[in-house]
Amino acid sequence: MSNDTVEKQKVATVWQVAKAVMFAFMGIRKKSDLENDAATLKPTQLIVGGIIGGILFVISIMLLVRLVVS
Amino acid sequence: MVNGNSKANVLMMKKLLVFTLIMFVFGYALVPFYEKFCEVTGINNLLKPDVLVKDNNWVDEERFVTVEFDANTRGLPWQFKPLQRSARIHPGEPITVMYEIANNSEREMIGQAIPSYSPRFLDKHLKKFECFCFTKQVLKPNEVRQMPVQFVIEPGLPTDIHTVTISYTFFELPDGASTIKK
Amino acid sequence: MAAVHGDAHGHEHDDHHPSGIMRWITTTNHKDIGTMYLWFSFAMFLTGGTLALGIRAELFQPGIQILQPELFNQFTTLHGLIMVFGAIMPAFVGFANWQVPLMIGAPDMAFARMNNWSFWLLIPAATLLVSSFFVPGGAAAGGWTFYPPLSTQGGLGVDLMIFAVHILGASSIMGSINIITTILNMRAPGMTLMKMPMFVWTWLITAYLLVLVMPVLAGTVTMLLTDRHFGTSFFNAAGGGDPVMFQHIFWFFGHPEVYIMILPSFGIVSEVIPTFSRKPLFGYSSMVYATASIAILSCVVWAHHMFTAGMPTVGQLFFMYATMLIAVPTGVKVFNWTATMWRGSMTFETPMLFAIGFIFLFVIGGFSGVICAIVPIDIQVQDTYYVIAHFHYVLVSGSLFALFAGAYYWIPKWTGRMYNETLGKTHFWLSMFFFNLTFFVQHFLGLAGMPRRIPDYNLQFADFNMISSIGAFGFGLTQLLFLYVMINCIRSGEKAPQKPWDGATTLEWTHLPTPAPYHSFEKPPVVQ
Repeated sequence: MSNDTVEKQKVATVWQVAKAVMFAFMGIRKKSDLENDAATLKPTQLIVGGIIGGILFVISIMLLVRLVVS
Repeated sequence: MVNGNSKANVLMMKKLLVFTLIMFVFGYALVPFYEKFCEVTGINNLLKPDVLVKDNNWVDEERFVTVEFDANTRGLPWQFKPLQRSARIHPGEPITVMYEIANNSEREMIGQAIPSYSPRFLDKHLKKFECFCFTKQVLKPNEVRQMPVQFVIEPGLPTDIHTVTISYTFFELPDGASTIKK
Repeated sequence: MAAVHGDAHGHEHDDHHPSGIMRWITTTNHKDIGTMYLWFSFAMFLTGGTLALGIRAELFQPGIQILQPELFNQFTTLHGLIMVFGAIMPAFVGFANWQVPLMIGAPDMAFARMNNWSFWLLIPAATLLVSSFFVPGGAAAGGWTFYPPLSTQGGLGVDLMIFAVHILGASSIMGSINIITTILNMRAPGMTLMKMPMFVWTWLITAYLLVLVMPVLAGTVTMLLTDRHFGTSFFNAAGGGDPVMFQHIFWFFGHPEVYIMILPSFGIVSEVIPTFSRKPLFGYSSMVYATASIAILSCVVWAHHMFTAGMPTVGQLFFMYATMLIAVPTGVKVFNWTATMWRGSMTFETPMLFAIGFIFLFVIGGFSGVICAIVPIDIQVQDTYYVIAHFHYVLVSGSLFALFAGAYYWIPKWTGRMYNETLGKTHFWLSMFFFNLTFFVQHFLGLAGMPRRIPDYNLQFADFNMISSIGAFGFGLTQLLFLYVMINCIRSGEKAPQKPWDGATTLEWTHLPTPAPYHSFEKPPVVQ
């Protein structure tokens, strides 16, 4: 794939990546949204998004645990 | 089978092999990470001196605890023993015990002692103010040295515990290694 | 291969195939290698099964009758290692070898020679494992998780085990690299990632998990080896190490490993259920997302295996909550399978029976898993037969049943012949009955406090143990029926049509004749 075609694709916003990752964590996604994701998101974006999502997930559970223990 | 994109395949394989290597190193990196994690969170604190709190020196004179002392060496030609086998003390009462160590070899050696306790939860109630295990020990050929450990067993120790054991194991540090910190 | 027809025969001439045993040793064909993987894993399955029967024979009655405690410990250890690394994992790699190229329209795996190598590495590894019974001191006996200090103290058997794990790990890593590259680079034109069959998706994610955690396991066993022989003290408390750290590193590998063994079976079931319901898979995209989610979550829950190893309350709560959350994407999957069957025109051939049996029993195993995840309960059931029952419900009636489903589903495509449906169904019902007879009662044993890995037990456990042993022998013998069905199918089954299953929609059924020719998709198919 040359650089031209990459630039012509719609650029995914951060929010779009975040949404895809959030739905992935729950395991539910509408088909139309998925096709939209597949068309616009690049794997690297999803992997970075997934890692950030994972870290946020861990932090949120930590906060919950703190809340319960305190 | 030759494919048009075999170059891309080889590139992908290289990337994945590098990733595999990184994960192998990561496995080893978990060791210092684990130690650091335990140190920061205060789990497994064996080799740090505790601070004697002057106000909190209540001694439970109602009961006695027998403390047994044990000494081992691992893989080095040293002789290592406590000068007393056991002591009967009140919880809260500070005590100093001497250990003797002798280097039976003809070369200078460096070692460090690692403590372990029985019962295991003793570490929560044992406060050490001074211990030879906090630092590495350098012994010249045939040197003999006596070293103290000063500690108190807090009165918070469960009342059904009457005997505890403190054990030290000396092991050799390679030349130039820094003190083990836990 | 006397019955091969002109076309395939011609190919063999073109490529100057060696014949006889050399054909199998030198082959780089993904179908040959897949076949060898499957036979190998079945042989290891019978080996591990024999060990299991030894264990159950000893536990048939209280007291020591057949196996001395030392040998009993070796049996439990090697049963676990052989089943996990020798049977279940190679079987899934075998399925991947056969099916991934067929399902994405690729001519072969990306690295055919490496593929051959990763199979043949399994043979020395298996030899090391099995022969360790005959060295002085016997095989490793500290449990399949080889915790130190037992694993740093054992004899030569432990060294053999460590080397075997090294080799098996290398084989798995090479296999995964092959699978990832094949899936990412060699799909037929038009086969976008989001059109890939579910089985291919689950294997892609599994392969990534494998390259993520297998090297960590390799590092762990290397540390064990240097602790044993080169004076390091990673896990030796006397030398400044920490045995609990081993458990952390091991389970950092071990928990994703659990999902490595179940995700491909999710994939197989996601192929079988739509075919026999004659409906597309409900919520394909959710399935992909849920698989990815399970894979990510599986990396942050490892310490739920170690609640009793000593951990602050904060840690226990963290791992308990994270573990329970995995039930969400897993629940999504079960919901989707059920919804696929809803109002479908279902028929119940053997693959479908095994797939439904899988869902039913896997859910039981999943629920007992959630129960084990609760810290106060886990402290009660840790190292009891409750845990044994739990993970056999997810590994035997989970992974193994899915493997059976896949074998019955694809055997017509592989051999060109149909299996005997009556015998297949008999195999299913006998397996179902004896499996539950063996393992359901172990829940009760565990709740009553019977510890695992002990050759003797109190009298109060006698009845349930006898029931469980009878079930185990029934289950073991039933698997010989499976062997018979498969051999019977290969030798004298009826000829299978190109698409013996009505509802099948993947490429191997729609674009290839039956049996699949030795070289398939040399010209890639075009996927709409």
